[in-house]
Amino acid sequence: MKAPAFSVLLAADFSLQALRRMRSGRERNVPLALLSGTHRRAVLLAACPQARAAGVAIGSSPSQALARCPRLLLLPADASAEAEAAAALLAVGVSLSPVVEDTAPGTCTLDLSGHPAAQREPRLQAAVAQLHALDLAVSAGLAATPLLALYAARECPAGQVRTIEHPRGFLARLPLAAAAPPEHLQPILAGWGVRTLGDLTDLPRAEIARRLGAEGLALWERAAGESVLPLTPARTTTEFVARHAFDHLISTLEPVQFILHRQLERLCLDLTNAGLAASRITLELHLEDPPDSVSDIALPDPCRDAATLGRVLATRLDSLHTASPVVGLTLRLAPTRPLLRQPGLLDAALRDPHGFAETLARTAALVGTERAGTPILEDSRRPDAFRLSTPPELLPPPAATTAAPTTVLGPPLRRFRPPRPAWVELSDHRPSFVRSSDVTGEVTACVGPWLASGEWWRADLTWQREEWDVQLDSGGLYRLLHLPDGWQLEGEYD
Amino acid sequence: MLPIPFSRSSSATTTTVTALRALIAQRHAAPAACSSAESGLPSGLPQLDQTLGGLPPAALTEIVCDASSCGGHLLLAGLLATTRQARQRIAFVDASDAFDPGSHEPSSLEHLVWVRPHTPEVAFAAADLLARDANLAWVVLELRGIPVHRLSRIPAPSWYRLQRSLESSGVAGLVLSAHPLAPCARVRLRLRQSHRLLSLDEDQSALITQLEPTVERHRSPFARLAGA
Repeated sequence: MKAPAFSVLLAADFSLQALRRMRSGRERNVPLALLSGTHRRAVLLAACPQARAAGVAIGSSPSQALARCPRLLLLPADASAEAEAAAALLAVGVSLSPVVEDTAPGTCTLDLSGHPAAQREPRLQAAVAQLHALDLAVSAGLAATPLLALYAARECPAGQVRTIEHPRGFLARLPLAAAAPPEHLQPILAGWGVRTLGDLTDLPRAEIARRLGAEGLALWERAAGESVLPLTPARTTTEFVARHAFDHLISTLEPVQFILHRQLERLCLDLTNAGLAASRITLELHLEDPPDSVSDIALPDPCRDAATLGRVLATRLDSLHTASPVVGLTLRLAPTRPLLRQPGLLDAALRDPHGFAETLARTAALVGTERAGTPILEDSRRPDAFRLSTPPELLPPPAATTAAPTTVLGPPLRRFRPPRPAWVELSDHRPSFVRSSDVTGEVTACVGPWLASGEWWRADLTWQREEWDVQLDSGGLYRLLHLPDGWQLEGEYD
Repeated sequence: MLPIPFSRSSSATTTTVTALRALIAQRHAAPAACSSAESGLPSGLPQLDQTLGGLPPAALTEIVCDASSCGGHLLLAGLLATTRQARQRIAFVDASDAFDPGSHEPSSLEHLVWVRPHTPEVAFAAADLLARDANLAWVVLELRGIPVHRLSRIPAPSWYRLQRSLESSGVAGLVLSAHPLAPCARVRLRLRQSHRLLSLDEDQSALITQLEPTVERHRSPFARLAGA
């Protein structure tokens, strides 16, 4: 007996499953049926078990179905949902074998010849479980030919794997309809008493060919589980994009996050299969009223973990407000090589770069993007000249000379932002008493004035100031500013 | 309804409660002593590091700045230098928006995440968020300069929530306040001595060594439970 080497992953009622897996929350509990279209004569093509249990029959009209099940949700096929489900099925297939054929919607054929015979079934079982986690109920067949594997998958309940080791015994019990006989041959075969595939293959092949022609011969070969066509390998994924069109207007975050979660799971699987990771996420939210909202997020480290990428997107979405409802979305991951870095003994890289980026993003969302970051001093003598930048991912080793802040004199200033207006009494042209909203007291010692000015070449930016450092009888040490329009308390030395 | 003070009922009950506390402390003291998290983190203040062995990680330390110009930001400068040397990261949640980058060595700012919230409530939320990130070694929360009536709006559970966040991530927390605020601070230090005018001409590193914080509270993790 030839060892089984082909497998088929089969998602029954594929269009219906594709529709269902893209529905979140309470919508998932509503009975669902698939319509043949949106025209008046549309009929039901498929219905979920809940609807079938309520008496909804395939082929019935929408009004007949609704009469049986008033809560029934009738939807036409969704191309974007089907594309996403097909991509998920294919991605799991590619994770098992390099030769994968996208045979039909919801059907994927794999060549498992490269796997050791003992490991084929456990690996298929794991793939079926993985698809279940992706909300696709799939059955798998494992056999010597692709056709036999397809028959096995059809005969197997969802979530299970069936291995065909004795094809003759298996085929003998299958009804003739499994081999899809041409309509005009069905009465002839029925007249011969052929009911199962075994009945047909018991007849001599040459006699069948002589009496029923090429179509009869092809049917006999299908009934024998023989396949002559090699697999057509599916194209390798080079673009990591997912699209979705909502069937109604979305104005809350939850449905968007749900779809993104689904898409990220599949895209990360595609990235893993390709040996790549995402370096950047681009999310386009298609709005009812253009223009679309586009978010471009650079990741601190290449990543292909769906949960991490989901958190990054959730953080961005938390602070996003759109002018009109969302009608669809496009998620694009920019691929790059995954970072392979061995942590050094003295390395000061981040322990969790994505976690840190997420913390910073959430903090920035809380306080404002311009109010959180690492301060960088501007190349200017203007007081309080700095900007905030994104904290570095890798901290360089400190230079030997910066072991202690030796070049800075005096205690740091605690700035009053904005400076407090002050009333200052002078004695012999020096401050002798200070009164402001925060501090009042007699000046016991002072030094100054310290004159400074800058950027005189630009009329709009030029500045000039006179500083005094004063010690008050209450014990505080403060910096006073004397400007043309009066005195100010700039801060407290602390 | 108020809780009933059970310790006043009889001396026998008091003995039982004390014995129970001692038993719990005994049960939990051993793993706590073994935990590496209990070794202190250097604060940059030689006096403090020598006497206390550093400040506790995964716990809250409060520095009460009693007087004006008593060195709260000087202590922060020491912490910035020490953490930079150790290549650790530090977050400074500056509720009063008073930090002056120009007063510090530029290289000691490279590892700093400075957060400038508008309100004390947002400051607490930001500190809580940062305290959960184990990429950071320290989270410093500056609450000086905030009016007392606004600080009083912060509910006590916020402090315990912050404490829990620090415990789970192992990040060390430091609060700079004008009055004792943090009920769950494991260490509370007080700075009383104001700078003099002459200190403006001294090196910051020399000034840091002159800081004399007094230890007002130093709890071991289970000291309160044991009734110590």
